[in-house]
Amino acid sequence: MLDAERLAILTESAKYDVSCSSSGSKRTNVKGGLGNASVGGICHSFTPDGRCISLLKMLMSNACLYDCEYCPNRQSANVRRTSVTPDEICELTINFYRRNYIEGLFLSSAVFDTPNRTMELLCETVIKLRKVYGFNGYIHLKGIPHADDALIMRAAKFVDRMSFNVELPSEKSLKLLAPQKTKDSLLLPMKKLNNAILYDKENKVRTGNRVIPAGQTTQMIIGASPESDGQILRLTESLYRKMGLKRVYYSSYVPVVQSPKLPASGAGLLREHRLYQADWLIRFYGFDVAEICEEGENLSVEFDPKCHWALKNMHLFPVEINTAPLEMLLRVPGIGARGAYRITNARKYGKLDFDNLAKMRIILKRAKHFITCKGKFYGSESGNAVKAALLLDGIKESREQLSIFSDASVALSALSGEI
Amino acid sequence: MTYYLVDGSEDCFYTAVFDAYKNSDCIITSERDVQLGLGFEVIDVVTDRNKADRVKAKINALDRGAAEDISLVLKSNSALKESTAFGYIKLIIQNGGAVRSMLANPTVIEMTEIRTRVFGESHRLKGLLRFMENRDGIMYAPYSPDNDVTEILALHFASRFDGRPFVIHDIKRKIAAMYDGNEIVMTYAGDAEIYLSEYENYFQNLWKQYYNSVNIESRPHPKQMRGSMPVRYWKFLPEKK
Repeated sequence: MLDAERLAILTESAKYDVSCSSSGSKRTNVKGGLGNASVGGICHSFTPDGRCISLLKMLMSNACLYDCEYCPNRQSANVRRTSVTPDEICELTINFYRRNYIEGLFLSSAVFDTPNRTMELLCETVIKLRKVYGFNGYIHLKGIPHADDALIMRAAKFVDRMSFNVELPSEKSLKLLAPQKTKDSLLLPMKKLNNAILYDKENKVRTGNRVIPAGQTTQMIIGASPESDGQILRLTESLYRKMGLKRVYYSSYVPVVQSPKLPASGAGLLREHRLYQADWLIRFYGFDVAEICEEGENLSVEFDPKCHWALKNMHLFPVEINTAPLEMLLRVPGIGARGAYRITNARKYGKLDFDNLAKMRIILKRAKHFITCKGKFYGSESGNAVKAALLLDGIKESREQLSIFSDASVALSALSGEI
Repeated sequence: MTYYLVDGSEDCFYTAVFDAYKNSDCIITSERDVQLGLGFEVIDVVTDRNKADRVKAKINALDRGAAEDISLVLKSNSALKESTAFGYIKLIIQNGGAVRSMLANPTVIEMTEIRTRVFGESHRLKGLLRFMENRDGIMYAPYSPDNDVTEILALHFASRFDGRPFVIHDIKRKIAAMYDGNEIVMTYAGDAEIYLSEYENYFQNLWKQYYNSVNIESRPHPKQMRGSMPVRYWKFLPEKK
């Protein structure tokens, strides 16, 4: 049976994979089987870094033959190596699941043999978990680049979600920092999987028989290479629109590895935060990337991307809450998707004023500068006054953010505006 | 002013709604320690299935989803749950149909908020409930929720753990949902004595190890952790004990 030491090594190697969502799959249990998937996802615990634990996240092995600069498990690194057998993984998953510690398994691996042999063993593990152990909970499987398509498609039949990490935001950086991985070895399998998903949809394959019902995700490291936010977001947008990805995760670079090819300091959490905000605007708020950020530019540090856009487009505001179309409500800083939905519903029954909005729990701190209710306006008049007011809120927010920086020197540099 | 005292069950509540509907100066409540003044009348409502069914039929005819919303709200720990649900029913009947999108109406706001709190806690506990295995292989989960969500959780876990018996024990309300692998029975349950299986400690320790290993120490954010996983739930979590 698995011991705590090996579990620690294989988890610590897997923890930089950000994805931990268990949503998007409606997999049902079978008679006498164990588990099902909850379509909204369920978080089972939260670690002191504020992230949720939803899945048992571990590597099958951390003995990697590849030598990616940024990776703590690269071949040339001097770390303890270990591995587990498919049965050990299955038993741990089942026992954690029965105690309701986890929602399922997130299995990944270092490339410890040829890519095909590695993928084969991953594939064997998930099939065993489904068929021998009767497990119907959530499984997220990492794809191994350069592995045979047939193996990837076979695994896709048994798992809920698959992901190939693009790792870095450009081909050039990939060549420099992860020489054994090529752009094609990451993007082609994504495309194939997306085609398989589209095929199932078009041919109305029964929900239970579809490949990766929860779709694909990917992840890239931010700040290890020189790409601008504008470039990163353009890549993101094309991954969403052309590859049909469910999520793109950003992982702010943390210098766990010393290398002349890598920056000496991390990218900071604020940059990651801004990228996620922009990502949400692209997916849920009807923004195009061109509206948010120029190609060579970075996102604003002081303002969140929506505020930044609104301040550049003050001629479109204020909008009247009782008549503005949904698309415009979604663009008001401070009004989220849920708030916009509440407003469009409630206004069918009568005109709304500021009091109504407050009672409906719409936060007006920022929104008041951009809306009128029954023609009344309570915000600051001039564009500059709005900027000043929002900036003040922003400073309060960033003070709270400071607590997420680990040591005092980083916090100080954040205050003096270096990050 | 008339107080209709109900016993906390849904049918009793609906019976009270039937009796109280025409009375404009009344309150329905399951609180036992109400302060009574002069001129107050208290009616101890006795469940009448016939009356309850008539009210439910009326509500279902006007809004298919309302009964489920009311059922959730009645599981709340809010002292206002019955009067809010009563107001909501009156509003549906007045309006002659569903009212849930009248999001600026005070009754709908109150109803939505209580419903969200109950639903939110049940969802949260679907993740935070922890089972331990006893010597007979039965999974036992003690907990102490704010709202009465045991039945909701039992249904959720019965479909997950099909055929595998478990007990979910609400220590505060002294009730338990027992699943024998086939059906769920709700029952009174005081203290429970549990003899753990020989593997229980091993897996709890592995889980603690996992919890510590998966944390990224260079990115501490304890406020976020406590926001998502309030401290009052910690005493039942092996990783937080």
